[in-house]
Amino acid sequence: MFQSFRMSMTWLHTWFGLVIGYVLMVCFFFGALSVFDREIDRWAIPETRFEPQVLPSFDKMLLPIFEKMEPLEEELDAARDRVGGPLPESKPVMGYSAYTTHRDPVLMMFSEYAITNNPDDPRDHVHGYITIDPRSGAQLSDEQLKIGSEFFYPLHYSLHLHWANLGYWIVGFAALVMLAALVSGVVMHRKIFREFFTFRPNKQAQRSALDLHNLTGVVALPFHFFFALTGLIVFASIYLPVGETMFEDVALKQAQEEAAATGLAFDPAGVPAPLASVDAMVVEAKRRWAARDMTGEVGFLAVNHIGDANSYVSIYRAGTDRVTLTGQGIHFKGSTGEIIREDPPPSAVEGVTDFMTGLHLQHFKHWMLRWLYVLGGLAGCVCIATGFIFFVEKRKRAHAKSGSSGARWADAVAVSTVTGIVIAAAGMLVGNRLLPTDLPDRGFWEESVFWLSWLAAFVHAAIRSAPVQQARISPAWREQCWAIAVLAVGAVVLNWITTGDHLLKTLGEAYWPVAGFDLALLAAAALAVFAARRLRLREIGAIEQRETSSGGAEAAHA
Amino acid sequence: MRDPALLAVAAICCILSFSWLALAMDVHWQQVRETSIQTIGVKRMLRVLAVVALGVSLSLCLKVDHGSMASLVWVMLLALAALIVTFTLSWRPRVLAPLVAWIPNVPRAGVGASS
Repeated sequence: MFQSFRMSMTWLHTWFGLVIGYVLMVCFFFGALSVFDREIDRWAIPETRFEPQVLPSFDKMLLPIFEKMEPLEEELDAARDRVGGPLPESKPVMGYSAYTTHRDPVLMMFSEYAITNNPDDPRDHVHGYITIDPRSGAQLSDEQLKIGSEFFYPLHYSLHLHWANLGYWIVGFAALVMLAALVSGVVMHRKIFREFFTFRPNKQAQRSALDLHNLTGVVALPFHFFFALTGLIVFASIYLPVGETMFEDVALKQAQEEAAATGLAFDPAGVPAPLASVDAMVVEAKRRWAARDMTGEVGFLAVNHIGDANSYVSIYRAGTDRVTLTGQGIHFKGSTGEIIREDPPPSAVEGVTDFMTGLHLQHFKHWMLRWLYVLGGLAGCVCIATGFIFFVEKRKRAHAKSGSSGARWADAVAVSTVTGIVIAAAGMLVGNRLLPTDLPDRGFWEESVFWLSWLAAFVHAAIRSAPVQQARISPAWREQCWAIAVLAVGAVVLNWITTGDHLLKTLGEAYWPVAGFDLALLAAAALAVFAARRLRLREIGAIEQRETSSGGAEAAHA
Repeated sequence: MRDPALLAVAAICCILSFSWLALAMDVHWQQVRETSIQTIGVKRMLRVLAVVALGVSLSLCLKVDHGSMASLVWVMLLALAALIVTFTLSWRPRVLAPLVAWIPNVPRAGVGASS
């Protein structure tokens, strides 16, 4: 079919790259934002702008709050569908857990309740979920959307398409294609070392775009490869759900045997028993970590089989000093507080999995590495965007001659996935600051602003892309760059007006979650203005003319 | 303050290393030193310097963080340094001239005479 291996790789890279590139753009851009998801949460929910807190007293503060928690309404609705009728009045509580990180001022609390009348699944259960201010125990309104951790972050792996886990599958397929695109890209690239440091911004758009595509693809190749791979590893159980399908019985048996071996009861005993002081267990867990020279606070605490003689409490360390997922779980008997077991060091296989997963999930405390991850993610975005531009530039003259509109539509979709997603994200932040604070279901409206801004960007790109059919540049790129600049500056100004937290104040107080995000928005605006002005020069042909007039001199150097 | 300073030096070493690596290539050498040709000896020396600087940056990263974290930081610093060096060569190549200022000019035939 193809004359050479290189040509077959070119075909694969071009077409899979184009189609899947649109999805990968979303993964990379919102993945890059997710590196600072907790900080974006602070920006979006001003009442949570305070310093990160350690886990508060379980006995005095958390337990009374847990006891008042209720299952989530949407989970109850789903459970009614599963059961096919009404749910029993009493839903016995099964477990409580609390989660925090070194970047979280707020504490997330989860509870689990048994659904006892599902004949198909005797272990059926529903969850409760709230977020509290751990300084006072006050519950935060669930009308407030955590834009970073509850919207941008899941968007990058699930696309918010939850039906049949469709989003996960699309993203998983995209990650697989990404790995193939990286390998085929290396095969195609003729001058990987000779042009390693080459970017010629004043050449023809096709040449400049390819330079930038190669540059960002090659210098961040390890990052791109490992993030696509580890992204797949994180969700391996969704992509290969053998534990829930083919081997369900085996998996259940294994869990039971593991429970028997570790002493962490799989099922409740059915004998009531009180819960001993969990605070004392936390003190003991910290003492044991310190004895192993592992400092750190509690990241995750779970109480299983509440109120039962088989109850046990698992306490995990917040891993801040390692890339790999740490935990060093220590497990206590709930009724007495005596130690049941300490997690042994991971086996070789577990160690590799934990490292790969930790590399992607980045629980560690290393601000420089976080910024370098953002750089890697944005380099991925530039690589994909310049891939689109190269695709269009290479074909638009031929398409203009033949009257085909293929390049035009590829360009319009590229505009809406490159500048369009930035507009949608910045539009959402502006919406976050403008929507009334007491608006019922505020989070829904914030999400609506996101999707509608994105739709508007697509419609605009589609309408304005007609010049591509005459082999010219779509003005939509430039116009959307201006829109990004206006929205990003607007978000910073609105943050100032609505919260009083202007940059001088947040910088003066060294409150980096908000100061850093404001600065990032201003940097994005500056970059958008720069891009818009360069695009204008390209549109009127000024850069190409400059190139032609200096071509003779450059030829002499070459 | 010690760790951020060490990491900053590690980053600078990466940038120096990639600058020297780029300057060991004819095309980039000419961007910086238009009137001078590059001898094989200079090329070799720049590459040795580049490798030494890379080694220094890796060892600094390892001094600050656990090995697994340090290797990630270092690999990502390489990407950052490569981007910085490339964009400098695109827009302000002469900025790199001081890095090879101590290397004597070997005029190119025809060019050196006229300059």
